[in-house]
Parts: sequence; structure tokens; C-alpha cells
Amino acid sequence: MNGEFRMAWRNLWRNRRRTILTAASVSFAVFFALVMRSIQLGSYDHMINNFIGSFTGYLQVQHVKYLDNPIIDNSFNYDTSLIAAISSLDNVVSVTSHLETFTLASGGTQTKGVAVIAIDPEREKYFSDPEGKLVKYRISDESVRKLQDEGLIPEKVLDILRKNADRSYSSLKRLELELGLDEEETTLFMPEILKHTGFANGYLTDDDDGVLVSDRLSAFLNISIGDSVILMGQGYHGVSATGIFPVRGIIKIPAPDIDNKLIIMTIPAAQVLFDAEGKISSLVINLTDRSERTIRHTRNRINSFLHDRNITTRTWYELNPVLYQQIKGDSQGSLLILAVLYFIIFFGIYGTVLMMVSERRKEFGVLVAIGMQKGKLRRVVSIEMTLLGVVGLLAGMLASLPLVIYLNNYPLFLTGELGNMMEGWGWDAIIATALPGSYYCWQALIVMIMVLLAAIYPLRKIRKLKEIEALKG
Amino acid sequence: MKVLELKNVNKIYNSAEIKVHAVNDVTLEFEEAEFAAIVGPSGSGKTTLLNMIGGLDMPTSGEIIIGGVDLSRLRPSELIDFRLNNIGFVFQSFNLIPVLTAKENVEFIMALQKWPADKREERTLELLRAVGLEERINSRPSKLSGGQQQRVAVARALASRPKFVLADEPTANLDSKAAAILLEIMEKLNRDEKITFIFSTHDPRVMKMARRVITLEDGKVISDEGKE
Repeated sequence: MNGEFRMAWRNLWRNRRRTILTAASVSFAVFFALVMRSIQLGSYDHMINNFIGSFTGYLQVQHVKYLDNPIIDNSFNYDTSLIAAISSLDNVVSVTSHLETFTLASGGTQTKGVAVIAIDPEREKYFSDPEGKLVKYRISDESVRKLQDEGLIPEKVLDILRKNADRSYSSLKRLELELGLDEEETTLFMPEILKHTGFANGYLTDDDDGVLVSDRLSAFLNISIGDSVILMGQGYHGVSATGIFPVRGIIKIPAPDIDNKLIIMTIPAAQVLFDAEGKISSLVINLTDRSERTIRHTRNRINSFLHDRNITTRTWYELNPVLYQQIKGDSQGSLLILAVLYFIIFFGIYGTVLMMVSERRKEFGVLVAIGMQKGKLRRVVSIEMTLLGVVGLLAGMLASLPLVIYLNNYPLFLTGELGNMMEGWGWDAIIATALPGSYYCWQALIVMIMVLLAAIYPLRKIRKLKEIEALKG
Repeated sequence: MKVLELKNVNKIYNSAEIKVHAVNDVTLEFEEAEFAAIVGPSGSGKTTLLNMIGGLDMPTSGEIIIGGVDLSRLRPSELIDFRLNNIGFVFQSFNLIPVLTAKENVEFIMALQKWPADKREERTLELLRAVGLEERINSRPSKLSGGQQQRVAVARALASRPKFVLADEPTANLDSKAAAILLEIMEKLNRDEKITFIFSTHDPRVMKMARRVITLEDGKVISDEGKE
């Protein structure tokens, strides 16, 4: 075996340039496939983190009818022992309660149908973190005018601010990215810009009777912090639900669809408003491990201690079938692209194999003529092909690792139209990667299968080799 | 002692229009330590006959018996092993394994025969010394001249201690000096190792040195002369 390996290794390097080119094509394919897949899986991770981790959770305990008919009548009574029991399960990171319904919201002369999510403000920090989404900076016409009056900011920067007028930001980083100032401009002008765009905001206390209003909704209703919003709707079992609530804070939700119509309040306030004492719509559960296996296993565990047959546990696949299908569909689409890529690379390798067989036909004939069994010769060629694949594979994997790890730690923030468009779709406007995991193993397996498939040709040729004909060259 | 026997060997190639009788009813015997040349004009059947003796091609009819074994009765994989253990080959264009050094090329045959490493080493050095290449044992074929490559090929052919060595026009690609050195080496090894050498050749120097000259014409043996 040692001799066969040595011979195979040397054969590999007898045409150094060709071997390098073939290995490079394999490694490029592997590099490209891994980075592409990693970005894709990373974006799914972020999407799941954003939407599932912050809105629906990986699991929800609900009334059995709530999924099909999400009205307040399909809420349920709960007690803290249920939360404690769920919290004690492995993989459970957070459990928080929601009471969700729809109502009309009025501010001045404007009225709009809105979604109300009642939360436990402290627990919610570990889930959707509304406090982190509070608007911290807002570029208003007034702030731009003040900056212009001061005369400390050049016209070019003022133009950028005008283009971004009426936009709110919940982080300094996002604001900086959107403005796109260079390092010097940031140092010189950012303190002045922050002074005029800073937005004083507030959060809810546990028994607060105020509300948080989403940014676009607040603009529509023309309300701000300190104003009041009137909610009018239908409560539990059809009772009239009307109340006036002070606005404590404005939150910026990346997805415009939700940003247009969200009001957040405390559960006690909502229970009073909707006459739903002791009731919630759902217990929202986040997990450490997001694998399907863990999700289904945890769901079964929770169901085992739900004694009320009207309550059940739903997975995020059931709660967000469209998103789930979107991810699956997108993933399959990219797998198709990968398949085409590998198909092209396969023919690259196959071309090399054809050349190699054609060049070495006489040599194969000599080896068999002088007494080398065809099986042994086939082993040498198989080792050669495997080495070629492994060299290309390892090179591609090693080359991809720094980029994949870097982008995982320091995602690229997308700005401008693309960033806004992605956020508009509800995607996080970043390019991040998933850390190397099982997809690396899959790529390795695919490449090795490809190489072995390409090896079938020379192996078949050797099996059918007629020494006398091969010796003629 | 008889090492090789050909009985009424025929080889007929059937193409669409014509039938070519490449080897026609050849009956020959070779004894141990012979130094024989098969000569004849191009197309006389020398190479076809050599290929059949080497088990690389099968006769249309007749028997080729080596050490009491009829080659036609062997399965393909048995035939490969039989060649490994009984026949050495020297080709016109050397045909060394390009990725192996001179030493490894010679050792290769013994490795296939699963000789222990120390015995392989000993025999390899002995043979490379005998062909005058002890200084070039670690050179790859591409670093050797044609004559040197053919000497390595001779050492490789002898490595397994075969019953006989078949050499197809071994001097055809060599200059006269290299050819003379090679012939001297083969002649010496033939005497020292008592191994039969059978050549196909056009080269008058080989014919002159051979102790038996078999002449073929149109596939038939027209003369078989021994010299002592």
C-alpha cells in the first residue's frame, strides 16, 4: 500500500501544471460553494434570529384554535408554574407571555387598524428586546435646518442628511452606515449631527399603563412621546374595549409591514383593556439549539405537561409556514446553482482524467505486461484521483475558513438601496456567514463522490485493457 | 533444461477483406541460458511471435509451454502473475516507470512479488552494479540517457530471476556505443545468471553476438542456426 501511495503521489506531480490547475479548479469550486452556502445559511440564521427569535419564538404554547383563528377569544388562562416548568427544560433560553389582538388606534384625526402585542417588559428584553429597538436618532427637517443654521456642516453632508430625512435609527452604527461618511467626516461632523438628531425615548415598566408605538405608525398618527393614543376595539367575548394610553416610547421595527401597525403595551394593561383577566394568547419560547430535532423534542416535552386539552405547543414551522417554505425554496434554488457549479467542475476533472488515461495508456500496458495486476493498478489510479480531490478539497476548505469566520464575527452591513430593500423584505441588511458545520462535511462528500465518479472511466479502461494494444501506444 | 517450447504455433489476423498469417506453424524449443536472436525482415512476424511467447497475445492455434505450463490454459490474472514470475521484458522504447527512480524501477518487480525489503535492496544494487549504474540509482528515467535507461530496463527484466528475458529490438533506439555496452552487459548476465535471452532484432551486432539465430520470413521459420 505504501508503494502504491508513493507511486500515486508521484504520478500526480508528473504533470505539475495540470495537477495544479485541476486541484485549483476543485478548490475554487469548494471555496465558492462553501462561502456561498455559508452566507446563505448565515442569512437564514439571521432571518430566523430576527423573525422567529424576536417575534414568534421557536415554540409557542397556544389555544388549539388560535393558529387558525388568532382572536382574543382563543386566549387561555395560565399560571407561573407552567413558565417555571418550561424554563427548566434543556435548551430553553427564555419563556415569555404575549397577549395579542387587533384594534383601532387614533391620534388626532388619524385612525388606523393596528396589532397590539402585550408583553412582560422585563422578560421581553430577553426575547424581542423592544428596548433595543427604541428610536435613538431621528433625522427630521428641523434637525437638518438647525445644522444648516449653525453652519458647521458642509453642504455635501447636509445633502446626505436631507436624502435621509424622516428616517429613524435605533443604533448609532446604522445611522453611520446610512450616512456613509468617511472617517474624517465622521470625526468632524458626527458629534454635531448626533446633538441634533438624538431622540429621547422611554421604555415600559412592569405595571405601566403606557404604550410603545412603532415608528411609521407614530408618523401616521402624528404622535410622539408624551402624546396619547386612543385604542378602540373588541375585547374578550365581544366586550367593548376602549382606552387612552400615554406614549412612552417609539420603536423602530426593521420590517416596514410591522413598523406600520404595531403597538406594544404591558399584559396587565391589555388584560384590563380587553377584559381578559388572567389570559394570554401565547407563551413564546426560545431555544439554544435550533435544530428540527431539538424543536420537535422540546415541543413533545412541553405537550407532556399541558393538562388542558385546549392548549398545545406549535413549532415555528407551523406558525410561519410561508417563511419556512421561503427558506426551503431558497435553499433548494441555491443547491441547484451549486449542482450546476459542481457539474461544470466535474467535467473539468473528467477532462483531466481523459487526458491522463490517454497519455498513460501505453504505461498501463507496460505495467500489466511486466506483471502488475490490474486490480493493483486500479488502486494506484484510485489513490491518485482521491489525492487530487483531497488536495483540492482541503485547499478550498482552508481558503474559505478565514473568510467564513471573519464574516461570521464581523458581518458586512449593507447600506443604501440594497440595504433598505432587504430591510423592506424583512431581512437583516447584513452579509454574515454560518460557522463551519455539517455543510462542510457535505461539500467534502460531494467533491469526493464527484472525483470517484470521474475515476470510473480510467478504472473501467484499466479493467478492459488489452496489453498488446496498449503497448502500441 | 528446456525453458520454453512452441508447438505448431499459428497466428492469423482476420480483417474484413484479407486473412494475414502472421505466424505460420512455428515449432521451437529454447534451453536454459540460451542467447538467441529472432531475425527477419519487417512484417516477418518477429514481434507477433515474441508477444505470444510473452503471453501478451494468444496464438490462433498451437501451444506455448513455459516450464511445463501451457499459457493458453491460464486465466488473464493468472497469466499476469505467470509473466511476473517467469518472464522478463525489455522493450524497444525502454518503458521505465517515469515517476520511479532507477532503483525503484528495478525494485518494483520484486515488490510485486512481495520480496522482503532487505532482499530487494540487495538484488537491486547487485543488478544495477552489473549494468554499470550504481552511481545513478536515485536518478529518474528522464535524467538518464537512452542507453542508461535500457540498462535499467535489463536490470528490471532480470530482477525477478525469470526463466527467460524477451527483448524486442532492444538496441533499435540506441547509438552504436550504447548498443555495444548494452549487448556486452546482457551477454555477461546471460552467462552469470544463466538466464535465457530471446531477442527480436534487425541489428547485425546482436545477430553476431547471438549464439542462436532464428530467421523468420512470412511468419515461417526458414532457418534456425546455432553457433558455438
